[in-house]
Amino acid sequence: MQRWKQYGSLAGLFTAFLAAGYWGFTATGGALPWAKRSAKALQRGTKDGGGALVDVSRGIVVAGPIRKGGLVLEFGGLVALLVVIGIGLYVYVDRYGGFEDGERPAR
Amino acid sequence: MAHIHLGEGSFPLWALVLWTLLGVGLIGVVVYRVRKGGIETHQIALAGIGAAASFAIFQLNIPVWGGIHMNLTGLVGILAGPLLGALIALVVNIFSAALGHGAVGLIGANTLVNASEAIVAYYAFNTLLGLDWDGFPASTSAATLGLSAGAFLMGAIIVVSGVNGSALPRGDLAIAVGGLVGLNLGVAVLEGLLTGFVVQFLASVRPDLVGLADRETPDETTGVTA
Repeated sequence: MQRWKQYGSLAGLFTAFLAAGYWGFTATGGALPWAKRSAKALQRGTKDGGGALVDVSRGIVVAGPIRKGGLVLEFGGLVALLVVIGIGLYVYVDRYGGFEDGERPAR
Repeated sequence: MAHIHLGEGSFPLWALVLWTLLGVGLIGVVVYRVRKGGIETHQIALAGIGAAASFAIFQLNIPVWGGIHMNLTGLVGILAGPLLGALIALVVNIFSAALGHGAVGLIGANTLVNASEAIVAYYAFNTLLGLDWDGFPASTSAATLGLSAGAFLMGAIIVVSGVNGSALPRGDLAIAVGGLVGLNLGVAVLEGLLTGFVVQFLASVRPDLVGLADRETPDETTGVTA
């Protein structure tokens, strides 16, 4: 393909996406609100997230909306289901040698 | 680029289950195809480098636009292919979530978003090469298109799911998320250009790594080996 057509297509793509980017930038309030929000989030993260990385007495932290919405049981059930599926897949692969394991050497 | 930064519990439980199952399904298909078909040895090294580069640049947030960062998933898709690209998206998201960048509950959704970027970039790049495009415009366009696909998917996931505790009706949420998608399209141009330069450099020293060996065989060695 002729080079001017390639770069013309690329320029068209860039023009459309940069226009969308500018619209998005103005539609979401420009730089200042985001910068303020970002600074606040960082400060809050520092305040709330301080402390030991490993703290056994803290227990398992479940997200607020799940805990306050009374969904801890459902959440626990989901985690248990995923654990069972994971262990089941591990046992299956270990016992039956995987999914036709012998046909996949790296080339 | 596209990455859902909402906190834990932001999505309703049904949405969390839905996106997690879709993410698991995608990764399941990818793993099955990798095991059936095998992978090229050089792709493994490229995948490792791509995962490291993607994870590193993931953490460099630009705070001006509400926490937008580059992903390099377009580059990863072009270099490592769609299968390893999807696996890299999963690994990078798990590591990022472990650092508090992106919710653990949204790993499935974010894997879908980032894997779509790698997959679309890979196929767009090969399609453009098939149309006899040069390496730079092909890789730049492909990465930009891949990243835009991820941005749209990210917006769709948020709008379909809704956000817990948000007072915005679904229509207003769609408009607000539309602005965010627009922002991501703007940044996709920058990341697309960066990807184009990287692929162009690789094509000049090791064209075989980017599938250009039989198109642009260098006449003389450049003195650089990789």
